[in-house]
Amino acid sequence: MSKSEVESTYSKRASRWKLIIFLLIIALVVTVIASLNVGYYGISFEDILKILGKQIPFLNTFVDYTPKLPGDPAVLLLVRLPRIIAGVLVGAALAASGVLFQGIFRNPMADPFVIGVSSGASVGAALATLFAAGFAFFGIGAIQIAAFASALITIFFVYNISRVGSRVPVMTLLLSGLAVTFFSSAIVTLLQFLSGKELFAIVAWLAGGFSNVNWLAIWAITPFILIGTVAAYFYARDLNLLALGEDTAQNLGVDIERVKKILLFLGSMVTAAAVSISGLIGFVGLIIPHMTRLVIGPDHRILLPTSTIIGAIFLVVCDDVARMMTGSIMGSLQLPVGVVTALSGAPFFVYLLRRKKTRYAL
Amino acid sequence: MVLLNVDGVECRYGSVKVLEDVSLSVKEGDFVGILGPNGSGKTTLLKSISRTLKPYRGTILLDKADIYTLKGIDIAKQLAVVPQDGSVGFSFAALDVVLMGRNPHLRRFQMESEKDMAIARKVMNLTNTWHLAERPINELSGGERQRVIIARALAQEPKILLLDEPITHLDIINQLEIMDLVMDLCVKEGLIVLSVLHDLNLAARYCKSAIMLKNGKIFSAGGIAEVLTSENIKSVFNVDAIVKKHLVTNSIFVIPFSPQKSPPSRKCSIHLICGAGTGTALMKILLDEGYSVTAGVLNVLDTDFETAQFLKIPVTTEAPFSPITEKTHKDNLVMINKACTVVLTSVPFGYGNLQNLEAAREALEREIPVFVVEEVPIERRDFTQGKAKKLLTELKNKGAVFVKNQNELLSLLNVSEEKLKIAKEETAKFLDHLKPEKIHKENTITGKSEKT
Repeated sequence: MSKSEVESTYSKRASRWKLIIFLLIIALVVTVIASLNVGYYGISFEDILKILGKQIPFLNTFVDYTPKLPGDPAVLLLVRLPRIIAGVLVGAALAASGVLFQGIFRNPMADPFVIGVSSGASVGAALATLFAAGFAFFGIGAIQIAAFASALITIFFVYNISRVGSRVPVMTLLLSGLAVTFFSSAIVTLLQFLSGKELFAIVAWLAGGFSNVNWLAIWAITPFILIGTVAAYFYARDLNLLALGEDTAQNLGVDIERVKKILLFLGSMVTAAAVSISGLIGFVGLIIPHMTRLVIGPDHRILLPTSTIIGAIFLVVCDDVARMMTGSIMGSLQLPVGVVTALSGAPFFVYLLRRKKTRYAL
Repeated sequence: MVLLNVDGVECRYGSVKVLEDVSLSVKEGDFVGILGPNGSGKTTLLKSISRTLKPYRGTILLDKADIYTLKGIDIAKQLAVVPQDGSVGFSFAALDVVLMGRNPHLRRFQMESEKDMAIARKVMNLTNTWHLAERPINELSGGERQRVIIARALAQEPKILLLDEPITHLDIINQLEIMDLVMDLCVKEGLIVLSVLHDLNLAARYCKSAIMLKNGKIFSAGGIAEVLTSENIKSVFNVDAIVKKHLVTNSIFVIPFSPQKSPPSRKCSIHLICGAGTGTALMKILLDEGYSVTAGVLNVLDTDFETAQFLKIPVTTEAPFSPITEKTHKDNLVMINKACTVVLTSVPFGYGNLQNLEAAREALEREIPVFVVEEVPIERRDFTQGKAKKLLTELKNKGAVFVKNQNELLSLLNVSEEKLKIAKEETAKFLDHLKPEKIHKENTITGKSEKT
C-alpha cells in the first residue's frame, strides 16, 4: 500500500510541531530583548546584552561593562525587565487559559474571565485599594494578594453552585459564572462610588497594566503560571476529544468530570495569578486562541503551547506600545495596556477572520 | 466469545424512572434493533450500556465484568458509540476526528503511529470517507459527517458497536451502504451491534433480533419477526400497520397507517357491495368516521377481502375465483338486513358477481337505502352483455341514490372535509389503474354527447 500525501503530512506532524514551538520560543526571546530597548531614554543593544550577561553566573567574568550612566543597570533590571517578564507571564497565562476555557465550554465566546475570575479579582482589588492600599505581606502588595484570593474564592463559589452531585454541567457553570460576574461587578461599581479620591486607582487597576510590578510580585505568581500551563498540557488530547461532545469523549475513555474539574482549576488558578499583578487585560485570552487556531488548526497538542507563547509575545509588544505612548504622547499618564491589546489586535483578528471565513466554523 | 449482559436495569433522571427492569443478553455477531416510540427509553438504554448514565438498579456485564467497575479507557477499547448528534466543536479535519477514535489505544503523550494511521485509512475506506480526510468536519454534509463519525467509532476497533439512530441524516443509498457495512462486520468479524432505529423497515431488513420498548419497559424481545408484528406495532406505537414478508428481499416489511383518531360513535352500520379494490379506501374512511362496516359478497383473496380482514370487517365470502352460490347470496342478504345503508361501489360485474346487484335490489325492496357510486359508467364495467346495466337501471327506478364519486357519497354521509381529500386521491389512482385504452376512447365520445 503506497502512502498518500495526507499520510506523510500526518506522520511528519510531530517534528513539524516541535519546529514551530522552537521558532516561537526564539521569537519570544528576541521580543524580550528588543523590548528592553523601549523606554524613556535609550540604552543601546550592546549595553543591554552586557548588563544581562553580567547577571549570569560564570558568564559574567567574560563581560566587560562600565555603565555610561550609573543608573542604566538599575533602569534595565529593576524597571524594564520585571515589567517585560510580567508581560510574558500574564500574556502566556491569559492565552493558555483562554484555550482551556474555550475547549472545556466548546464555545467561541469563552475566555479566561467567563466564569467570574476577573470580577472576583476586581472585588478583592477594589476592597484592598480602599482599605489596605499601603499594606504588604513579605513585600507583596495587599492588592495583589486580595485580587488573587478573591478570584479563587469566587471560582470555588461558582463551581459549587453549578455542581449537581459529582457532575458539573458546563451550561450551568457558564450561567452561574455570568450571575456571579454581574453580582461582583455591581459591588465594584458600588465601591467606586464610595471611593472618593481612590477612584482613579481602582479605574486604573480595572483597565489593566504593569506600572506597579516588581520582582517580588513576579516571583509570587511564576510558580502558579508555570505549573498551571505545563500541567494543562497533559490534557491536550482530552481537550481535542471534548470537542466531540462530553458523552463521546467519555465513550473514548476520557474521565470527563475529572478532566473538567482539573482544567477548570488550572485555568482559573493561572488566570487569577495573572490578574493579580496586571489587573483586567481583556482580549488576549479571547482572541489569541482564536487567531492561533485560525493559523495552526484546532489540535490542542499544538494549539495550547503555541497560543501560550504567542500570547506572551503579543502582550509584551502591546506593552511596548503602551510605554512608547506614555513617553511621547501621553506625557506622564500611563496608557492602559488593555486599550492597546484591543485596538491593535481586533483589526488584525477581523482580517484573519475575513481571509479564512469559509474555513472557520465553531 | 464476547458477551454483553444487561440485567434488571433501571435508570432514572432525578426521580423520574425512564427505564425499568430491562434485561437482555447479546453475543458475538448479534445485530439487535432497539425499537420504540420517542421517549420510550431507547437512548437511555444505550447511555447506560455506554457508561454515560449509571443505572439506579441492575447490572451491565461485559464478559462477566461489571462495566461500572472497569476503567473508562478499557471499556473504550471494546465498545464504541455513534451518537445521535455528531456535531464537532472546532473545525478538525475528518482524519483528525477518525484518529481520535484511536485514543483508547494510545498512552498520554504518544502520537498516533503508522499503525493507527493505517487503521484510520482502512475504516475511512470502509465508510467511503477517505477522500474527505483533510476536509474540516464542519464543512461536510450531514451524511458525510455521519460516515466520518461511524469511521471514528470503527477506528476504536470495538467488539461492541452502539448506534443511536445512526442513519437519520442519511439519504437512502447511504443508509443502505452504512447498514450493509455494519451488518457485514457483524457477520464476518463477530461485531455486536445494538442500534436504535426509527425506521422499522430497515430494522426488519438488517436486525437479527430486536427489543421493543414501551414506557421504559421491554414490551417484546426476540427474533425480529417475533417482535415486529402488527399487534406489537399497534400496542407500542399506536399505529396500524401491515407486516408482510417481502418476496424480493426475503425480509419482513412494515406498512404503517396514519394513527387513528378516536372515531365519533355512530350507531349506523353500512354494508359495502364492492370487490377488486373498489371498496378498500371506503372501508378505512367509514370505519374512521365511526360507522360499523360489513361487506359482501367478496371472493377470498380479493383485494377488498384482504383489506376487510385487516380492518376486521365482517364479510360474507365466497371461495376464490368462484361465482356466488345461492347459499352465500342468502348469507349476504342476512348481513344486509342488519345494515341501515347499502353502498354499491364501481365494481366491475361479470357472471360471477352479478348476484350482488340482485342483493342490492333486494335491499331496496326491504326499504334499506342504497347508494350507488358511479365513478365508472356501467357500460365500461359490465361484462355480462347488458345484464348488469339492466339491473342497475332497475335500482335507479326503485329509488337508489346515484352519486358520481366517493366524495359525493361521503358528503351525503356527513363526513369531514379532511377525509374527502384522501378519498379523492384514492379514487383518481384507482381509476387510472382500471382504464384500458379502448374504453378511454368511448369515454371521450360519451363526454362529447353529454356536453351537447
